[in-house]
Amino acid sequence: MEALLTSLEGALLLCGQLFCIIVPLTVFYEFLKTRQASLAGRKRSLMGISGRGLVPLVTGVIIGLTYGAGVIIHSIRSTDLGKKEAFLILLYLSVCHAIIEDTLIFAVIGANALILLGVRFFLATLLTYLASLSGRDRP
Amino acid sequence: MGETLKRGFHHGLSITVEMVRVIVPFYLVVELIRHLGLIGFIGGLFRPFMSLFGLPGESALALIAGYTTNLYAAIAVLKPLHLSSRDVTTIALMLGLSHSLAVETPITRKTGVNAWLLLAVRIILSLLAGMALNLAWKLF
Repeated sequence: MEALLTSLEGALLLCGQLFCIIVPLTVFYEFLKTRQASLAGRKRSLMGISGRGLVPLVTGVIIGLTYGAGVIIHSIRSTDLGKKEAFLILLYLSVCHAIIEDTLIFAVIGANALILLGVRFFLATLLTYLASLSGRDRP
Repeated sequence: MGETLKRGFHHGLSITVEMVRVIVPFYLVVELIRHLGLIGFIGGLFRPFMSLFGLPGESALALIAGYTTNLYAAIAVLKPLHLSSRDVTTIALMLGLSHSLAVETPITRKTGVNAWLLLAVRIILSLLAGMALNLAWKLF
């Protein structure tokens, strides 16, 4: 019984720590959502991703796939991004999303945040760049 | 401004409720497994596979929880296992690259791209990154 209580205390303490990370982030995310339209003006494309593609890309990298799903699905379907560009965006996001939350919650239990951030950004950028070089449109 | 603040706070609360519902059972089950002395058995079972990443066998539980459920579940499993900071970084990198697959793959599908290809990319990348970071730890 005592062991159960100690475990429960540990679990709730962990929840408390994560709560302190999550609530400020969701507030920040909501402010970000009100500002995202200003991203679409960019002219130059990056790794095969245009200005319009930056809305779902930046949303996903910062907010994440689950919580940002509405914005990401809507902005990809409502703009006429090509299949290839949509794939490149989702490829980047598959590897690198919710970058603040994912990193912080692992830092709470002792992970090295710089390694986590650096490797995910590097791999996502490298893979997306390589995929953008291939001329073939992916299904 | 006030409306946005309120919406953000509400979202934060609903995520927290979801998180408590995942973390508490996962955490308690791992503690139970530990108290029953089953951790050695599970560790032995997964040791050959997890040694590819330089991780103890029982950390396979965190990998499975993270891949299938979400990162909160993975963290709930990891914390009672008390891994070293180095090991936590390795498994966190693997989980960061590939997690919540049951939720995120359908979301990816809804955008219209080839979600199965991306699912394969994530799992393969996760395993390769774990092996690479393990090698890097040994070298430096």
